[in-house]
Order: sequence, then structure tokens, then C-alpha cells
Amino acid sequence: MSEISIINISIIILLLPLVSFVLLIFFGKKFPKLYLAATGVVFVALVLSIAVTFGMLTSYSGETLSFSFTWIDFGNVPSIGFLSIELGFEINNVTALMLFVVNLISALVHLYSIEYMRGDIRYTRYFAYLGIFTFSMLGIVITNNLLMMYIFWELVGLSSYLLIGFWFEKDSASDAGKKAFLVNRVGDIGMWIGILILFTHYKTFTFSTIFEQISLGNLPFDSAAALTTAGILIFLGAVGKSAQFPLHVWLPDAMEGPTPVSALIHAATMVAAGVYLLVKIFVILTADAMLVIAVVGGVTAFVAATIALTQNDIKKVLAYSTVSQLGYMVLAVGVGAYAFAFFHLVTHAFFKACLFLGSGSVIHAMHHEQDIRYMGGLRKKMPLTYYTFLISTLAISGVPLFSGFLSKDGILAGTLAFGSLTGHWLLPIIGFTVAAMTAFYMFRLVIITFHGEPRNKEKYDHAHESKWVMTAPLAVLSLLSIFIFYTPNPISADAGWFLNKWISTPQTVVPAEASFDFMQSGMNKHETGLAQESGIVHSVQYTEAMHHAHYPAMFLSLILAGLGILIAFIFYQWKKVDLEKLTEKLNSLYKFSLNKWYIDEFYHATFISGTIRSADALSWFDYYIIDGIVNASASITRFVSRLSGWFDTFIVDGLVNFSALFSGFIGLSFRRLQTGKVQTYIVFVVFAVLVLLLFFRPF
Amino acid sequence: MINEILNSITFIYPELAVSIFLLIIVLVDLVFHKDKKYIPYISLAGLVITGILVLNQIGITHFAFVPQLSAVKKYGMMTIDPFGSYFKLLVVVTSILIIFFTIASEEVIDLKERLGEFHALIYGMILGMLVMISASDLILIYLSLELLSLSSYVLAGFLKLRERSSEASLKYVIYGSVSSGLMLFGISIIYGLTGSTNLYVINSLIQGPQINLFTLSFSSILMFVGIGYKISAAPFHFWTPDVYEGAPISITAYLSVASKAAGFALLIRFIQTGFTSFISEDGYWTLIAVFDWQALLIAISILTMTLGNFSALWQDNLKRMLAYSSIAHAGYILLGIAVLSNQGLIAVLIYFFVYMLMNIGAFYVVMLISNKTGSENIDDYDGLGAKAPFLGVALAIFLISLTGLPPTAGFIAKLYLFIALIDANMIVVAIIALLNTVVSLYYYVRVLKHMYLTKSEREQENITPSIGSLVYLLVLLIPILFFGIYFTPIVEFARSCVSLLGI
Repeated sequence: MSEISIINISIIILLLPLVSFVLLIFFGKKFPKLYLAATGVVFVALVLSIAVTFGMLTSYSGETLSFSFTWIDFGNVPSIGFLSIELGFEINNVTALMLFVVNLISALVHLYSIEYMRGDIRYTRYFAYLGIFTFSMLGIVITNNLLMMYIFWELVGLSSYLLIGFWFEKDSASDAGKKAFLVNRVGDIGMWIGILILFTHYKTFTFSTIFEQISLGNLPFDSAAALTTAGILIFLGAVGKSAQFPLHVWLPDAMEGPTPVSALIHAATMVAAGVYLLVKIFVILTADAMLVIAVVGGVTAFVAATIALTQNDIKKVLAYSTVSQLGYMVLAVGVGAYAFAFFHLVTHAFFKACLFLGSGSVIHAMHHEQDIRYMGGLRKKMPLTYYTFLISTLAISGVPLFSGFLSKDGILAGTLAFGSLTGHWLLPIIGFTVAAMTAFYMFRLVIITFHGEPRNKEKYDHAHESKWVMTAPLAVLSLLSIFIFYTPNPISADAGWFLNKWISTPQTVVPAEASFDFMQSGMNKHETGLAQESGIVHSVQYTEAMHHAHYPAMFLSLILAGLGILIAFIFYQWKKVDLEKLTEKLNSLYKFSLNKWYIDEFYHATFISGTIRSADALSWFDYYIIDGIVNASASITRFVSRLSGWFDTFIVDGLVNFSALFSGFIGLSFRRLQTGKVQTYIVFVVFAVLVLLLFFRPF
Repeated sequence: MINEILNSITFIYPELAVSIFLLIIVLVDLVFHKDKKYIPYISLAGLVITGILVLNQIGITHFAFVPQLSAVKKYGMMTIDPFGSYFKLLVVVTSILIIFFTIASEEVIDLKERLGEFHALIYGMILGMLVMISASDLILIYLSLELLSLSSYVLAGFLKLRERSSEASLKYVIYGSVSSGLMLFGISIIYGLTGSTNLYVINSLIQGPQINLFTLSFSSILMFVGIGYKISAAPFHFWTPDVYEGAPISITAYLSVASKAAGFALLIRFIQTGFTSFISEDGYWTLIAVFDWQALLIAISILTMTLGNFSALWQDNLKRMLAYSSIAHAGYILLGIAVLSNQGLIAVLIYFFVYMLMNIGAFYVVMLISNKTGSENIDDYDGLGAKAPFLGVALAIFLISLTGLPPTAGFIAKLYLFIALIDANMIVVAIIALLNTVVSLYYYVRVLKHMYLTKSEREQENITPSIGSLVYLLVLLIPILFFGIYFTPIVEFARSCVSLLGI
């Protein structure tokens, strides 16, 4: 494939879901079968994206193909100079892989939804929303500038809002939609300010131009602090969209949406957009910004994992696990493990989508029962769902031979290396703790749901395996959770094609004094080019630290994952420990986790009731002070007005009546102008000539 | 002499094509007077050919018909330049749109028998406009203006049986004669002052000190009367509401776009070739200090837009409302000229392109609805949004674009106009224009309110447009929405077309 055809096909891929959206939203009511066309269109996009990814990775690996055009040309603007806004697209390895991931999951979710959503009153509208979502997400993926990134960013926010509140008759669903929208707004404002900091200085939104300028030493407002600020502010957008602490509260509530939506938007793609954004702007992150990002990621991973330990709603457990895994990815970006952040994004997208679709299959079979305490023993009734769910669980828990092990191991090694290089040892400690907790709560979920005896006999008897349109996506996704798709070596991804050939860490453009020492390769341009081919552009120091950290991290994570799984089996499968006693003993901790660290309550007590209270105060102020002043002035006015009354009656009224008469006369003549009589028109023309001559004569 | 004429012919291919097709139409009408259904196709073919010929000319800058007698410098009677070609293209495209418009309209009942004369007259108008756009000689200007006017008088009264139509036509004739008479008076004074009818020669002569400024101002104002009547600028607009209401709606749409465009092209050429001494690096025109065109244009444009907008407020007949709205738009466009800069000229070119799309579109929807309901009254639009969803949405987009709100191309047109005004530091004028836009919002949105918020009292059947009308509307709608979002192409095209054959 030639360069231009790759770009063109990518744009077609971008537009296909939009076409499906337009068709469905306008003609969905007339042609209820159109959802099949929508699914077909997304599958066409999938095939095209496979072609693009293949072409990219075979012919143009490591290159960036881009296409841009002038959107608005303001010309020469006074006090700014020539200003034009360029828009465009760019395709590189990361983009191509992301295209494939988004399209694959979107296509599978379309397929799955055909059965899952059957009978819904807004069936075609659901597919229309999926279309607009896919369009917006692909837009984020292939854009080459921050402006389009922001536009599509808002568009995914919109489609997420629409889909969370899809069953808006339920109060909880419409509330969750609003919550997601508002919480995201907090992050997006920050992101927009960050974008504007860069735009104000560089007069462009294009990534490559901004990066080039920074690498030439042209920092925003000539200070590294401004660059740090811009980086952190843009990261704030990722905090909102990728549900990082403290803005993670919307994601668990978003589970009110249909389950396939949770799989597509709130597990695999949209929430990963934040990480994708960080990957895009990775090269301009300064040391301080990276540290902030790492800490936020670490805290998120830890908080979410502790909450996931005790949740009883199958989707809530998965939601918190998503938040926790996103925390991992953000942590990875923060510690400089760029390739592993993206690697984990991809592997997580597959196994988490599989877990969510699996949970959807269970919920479907159990007639919309989501509480795992009423499930149990489903293994026999739904074998395919069980095994795919189990494979994905093994992947997320970090068991060797599965994809999650490879990516998570890399991230943990990254944190260890980061610790050894900078002395921030708390980050690896958090990372490993979370790994153990992840293994525990995931196996707790599997055991309670699928093993043991059924706890609700009636629902159990009605449960059955789902149809093939629902299980086929599960099979595909669980298959992709196996190591062989990423590397030939099941215990190390380093030698695999994913990390070795497809993804290479780009050279940071931040000046040396503002970035971590280990981020600087210390090589000149020529050598950098060579290094890019071999995959890693860090300092030798960092590469060595990663290398040293690899085996300790692997063994430690293996032991911890094993421990977590073992405890889960002891607690829930073999029931060796009396859980009720244990909860009583750790009652306060248990409650703390079950109630999600009381964060929602905290927000309610501070921000929400604060807003309401200040609104109350303002309304009180309005009612008593403003209205009071108004009333007081009213009585004064009345007094004065009595005085001036007689003045009015006799003097002013005379004038007013006169002017009313006068304007009435003007109005009448205005209306009279259009008399319909041509002779008067001609008089007007001659009159106008004379008047114009009067005004515009030269002396 | 003969050589020069033969040479010049190569530059007037579009005008020649129009003349030839005019003859063909008349002949076909005479020969096949039983079956005239081919005439629209012939006239469309002619227009397409003319359009291609104009497109071929778009990069050319040249004089045609240079008199051999003048001794020193050679100036032609016609000027071929990108600016003129842009307007010619606009006229041709508008004409094509109007031909299709007429086919869909059911207003002219006996049109089938009178197709020949109808198209011949349209061609007469086109010929007049094309010549007018590139005329740089006062005599030729007058002739082309008369050719355009005479054809449009007849077309305005084409509905012979309807009293309003005949009345409109008669008023138009009388009013037009007086205006062009005044203009001719102005021309004769200018000739008396300078001894030349060529704008370029006049330009060089009036720079001398011996010119009587009062007489020159008087003649300039008289010239402006003639042009002002063509572009229906207040206070020379009085014929407009009556004629627009009385004429068949397709002709109304045509007059409001094409003949206005030709009039504007004439005005711009007249000021730029006749009165500009030089154009600075950044595109500002410096006029010869004999007559304050800028003040006149600003005053006229503010008067025009204010009068147009305020009068449109109270119209219940949509055709009449659109007539007043087109007067108001002429006011906005005049402002673009009043800036006296290339930036302003770009704004005018963009505005005309967009104005063509949205104005014809609005008239087309009104025509389709009056085809069904037989009325153009706003009360008959009650509840139309539900009964004719596509037409409702289309009209809504056209009206929003006419108001100048994003994301439509109307917004872009106004945006560039205001940018030009603010660049030239004409802030007060820009604010007045902005306030006028706010006023216009009222009467445009009033139609939307009737369509979507008022329930109809009568029972109405659903109105579904034919496939042809659907395509026609989409052809107008898609550019309006597309250029509303991605407008660099038209801006670039307009920028490449601002150059007039200079002094």
C-alpha cells in the first residue's frame, strides 16, 4: 500500500461509523432492520483497519504518515501575525494498532448487542449511538493535532453520556449520565487550558510542530514550569476520561448503561483514550509532570483495588478493576515505561472487554440479576462463558502464558527501575500490592459466580448459555488474551514483535535540565535513529535498570498473584476461614472498602452540598437584601414620585404627548412611503437625489 | 480596426455563446411551435457551454474592443478580469438554478405554450448581465443595463392574467425608465466634463485640477441612482417589494440574486476603475479626492439594511418578507464595498456566493409550499415542520444561514464581512450591522416558530417533495453546511478572484 492510500483508507474508516450514525438516526424508525447495516459497516471498517495496520507494520514501521489541510486561514491578524489553523490526520504504529483495537472491539460489541439489546424500545437508536461513539473514538486515534483531539474528546464524552443514560426512564441511569458528564467536564476544562497554553505560544495545534519547537529549545513562555503546567493540565483531561483518582467516581456509576456499552466504552476504548493521550504527548512531559502522573496513577490503582475487594455487584467489581488497571497504565507512563503502558492498554482492552461481555452474558442469563451473592454454580450452565471469563481472569491476574502477565510484569519492572533510579520506592510497593489484590478479587468474582452451589435456585434453573452472536465475541477476545499474539516467549515480552518491532519509545523533546536523567538517551541524532530501530530510546542507565528489574519483578509478581489466587480459593472455594468473623474483626476496614472510601459521600458533603448551600445563600441574599433594597427604594420612589407627579402631569406629559404624536407621525409616514403608487416613488427618487447632493456636495 | 475587433472576439466567447443560443431559442420556438418541451434543455445546454467558456477565462486579464483612435493609452470598452469572471460564473450558475426552479414551479400555468419567449427573455437578461459585468465604457454600461432591464420588465409581468403581476411590471417599467433616465443624465454630464466615456480615461482626467467638483458629484450621484435601482439600495428600492411580490416567484428569486450581482459588479468596477488612484500593498484603495464615495456608501448601506430589516419585521407574506430581506442583504454587501479594500471585496465575493445558495433555496421552499397550499402567507406555515419534515428542515437551514448563524455558510459570509470592517477600523458601522442582524433574527425565526411551535388549525395533508426537488434542495443545502464548517476553499477562490484590471 502506498502512503496516500493508507491515509485515505484511515479517513474512510473514520467516516464509516459516522455514515451508520446518520443513517440510523434519520431512517432508523422507518427501516428497523438498519441495525444490520450498521453492524456490517463496522465490520467493513474492521477489515479496512486490519489492512491499514498490516500495511503500516510491514511497509512503514516506525514512520509517521500524515495529511493535513488548512481549516481556517485568518490571514494577517494584527498583533499576532499570520494565523491559520491546520487540521489533519497522522498514522504511525501506535495509531494503526489502536485503530485495529477500537474497530475490533466495536465490531464485536455491535455483534453482541444484536442479541443482548433485542426487544429494546430504542433498538436502532442504540446502534446509532454506538456509531457516533466509534466515529469519535477513531477521530481521537488518528488526529494529528490537539484541537481535533479536543473536539473528538468532547464527542466521546457526549456519546458516553447518551449511552450511560440510554435507559433514561430509570432515575439512576439518567443521574449516572449527568454525573459522568459533569465530572468529565472538570477534567476537560483543565485539558483545554493546557491546550491553550501551548496554542497561545506556538500558534498551532499540530503535535509534530509543537514537539519540534520544544526540541529546538523553544519552551512555552520560555519556562520549563509552563511546560510542566501544560503537561499536567492536559493530563487532567486524562484524569477525567480515564477515571483517575480523584475524578474516578463517575466510572462505577456509568455501569448503569447497557453492559455491551460498558465493555466498549467504559472498559476497552474510551477510558483508555486518556492513556492514549498521554502516550501522544509523552515526549513533552517534564520530570515533575511525570512524577505527578505516576503518583496519580499509583494512588488510583491502589484505591480502586481496595474497593474492588468487597463489592457485590458483578459490574461494579469489574468497573473498579478497570479503574485500577487504568491506574497501572497511567503509572507506567509516569515512570517512563511508555511501551508497556501502551502494551497494557491493548491487552487490557481485550481481556476487560471479554470480562464485561462475559458478565453481560451472565446477567442476560440471570434475567438482569447483577448481585453475585445470588449467583453460583453457573459453570455447568454456561460453560463457554465460564471458560472465556476464566481465561480473561487469568490474564488480568497476571498468570504466565497470558497477555496480562506480560504487560503488567513490564509495568512493575518499570516501577522497580524507576524506584532504583530516583528513590521513589513507594510506587513499586503500591504496584505489587495492587497485583496481589487484583488476583484476589478477580478470583473471588469467578468463584462466587461460577463455582459452588447455586444460591438462587429459581433463577439458576432458568439460566442458559447465550446464543452464538454473544459467545463468539467472547471466544475471539479470550483468544487474544493469550501470549502468542504478542511474543513467542511466554515469560518475557521484550523479544516479542509487539515491543521489539511495533512499539518504540520516542525520544523526549524536553530539555535535559527539566526531564529525568534516564529519559535522555545521551546520544546524538544519528545514533538516536539507530536506537529507534532497536526499540528503546532511553539512557543505558534506564535500560540496565529495566533489565535488572525484570526477573525480580517477575518472580515477585508471580508469588503475589499466586498468593492472591490462593487466598481467594481458601476464602470462597474451600471456605477454610469463617468470613463473617473476619469481616467482624476488620469491620471498619471492610465498611471503608465497601463504601468506596466514602469518596462519593465526601464529594456530596463538600462540592455538591457546597454548591447547593451557596445557591441557597445567594437566593437568600437575592430575596432579602436585593429585594429589600428594591422594596426600600420602591417606597422612596413612591414618595418622590408623588412629588414629581404633578410635575409629570403638567410638564413632562406635555412633552411626551408631543413626541408620541411626532413618532406616530414618523411611523405613519414610514408606512406611507410604500404607497404602491409609482408616481410617489419617483418623487422620492428625485427627492433622494437632491438630499444626497445636499449632503455629499464637495463644498 | 477589423483586426482589433476580430482579436477582441476571442475574449467575449461567453457573451457570444449566449447571443447564439438566444437566437437558437427564438428560432426553435418559431419552427417547432407545437412541441416546445425541448426548449429548457436547449437553454440549459447553452448555459453549461457558457459556464465552461467563463471557466476558461478565469485567469485571463485583458482589454477587448480597444478603439484605435485614442492616441496615447489603449483602453478597451470591455475588461476581462478574474473579478468579472467570478461574477459571470455566479450569474451563469444562478441562471441554471433558476431554469430548474422554473421547471418545478406551477405558478405560470400557461408556461408550456410560452416557453420560447420565457427562455429568450431570460437569455436577454443573461446577455445584459454578462456585458454589464465587464463593461468599462459608460455607453456600454447604459446599453447593457437597459437590455437587462427591458427583459426583466417583461418577465416581471409574465403572469399576464394576474393583476398584481401586470401592475408590478408597469411600475417596474416606469420606475426603471426614470432611474435609467437619471443615469443617462449623469453619463452625459460626465461626458461633458471629461470628453470621454471610458472609465479609465475618465479616471485619469478627473485627477486634474480643472474639474468642476460640484458637477462631478452631481453626476456621480445620478450614476449611483441608476446602479442603486438595480441593486435595490434604499432610497431607490421602492419598486422592489411590489415587483418581487407581483412577479412569478422564479423571477423574483432570479432578480434578487443574479441582477443584483450584476449591479454590484458594475458598482465595484465603476468605483474602482473610475475613481481609485492607487491600491496600497495591504489592499486598501485610495480614491481620487473628488467625491466621498465611502461616506455615501456607508450612509446608503446603513439606510438600506435598517429599512430592509425593519420593514421585513411586519410582513406576513413570505415572498414579500424575503424581498425586504434581500434589500437588507444588499445593505450588508454594500458595506463590504464601503470598506474600499481588497479584504472587503473578498467578503463581497464570498457573500454573493453564499447568498445565491441560501436565497434561491429559501425561495424554492416557499415556491414548493405555495404549489401545494396556494398561499405564501405565514399562517399557512403553521405546523409545517411535522407535515413536511424535509422542507421544514431545509427552510430552517436556509433561514438560519440568512440570519448568519453558525454552522452555516451564512455565518462565514458575515464573519468575513465583519473582519473586513474591523480591520479597516469601522467599528461603529460594524456594530450597527450587527444590531441589524439581531433584528433580522426576529423575522427569520418567526417563520420557524410558525413551522414548529404553532399548531395548525386546519387539516393539511403531508407535503412530500418530488425526487427532483429533493436533489435540488440537497444541492443547495450541502454546500451551505459544508462551507459553514470548512470554508477555506471558497475563501481561497474569492481571494484569487479579487483582482480587477487595474489603473
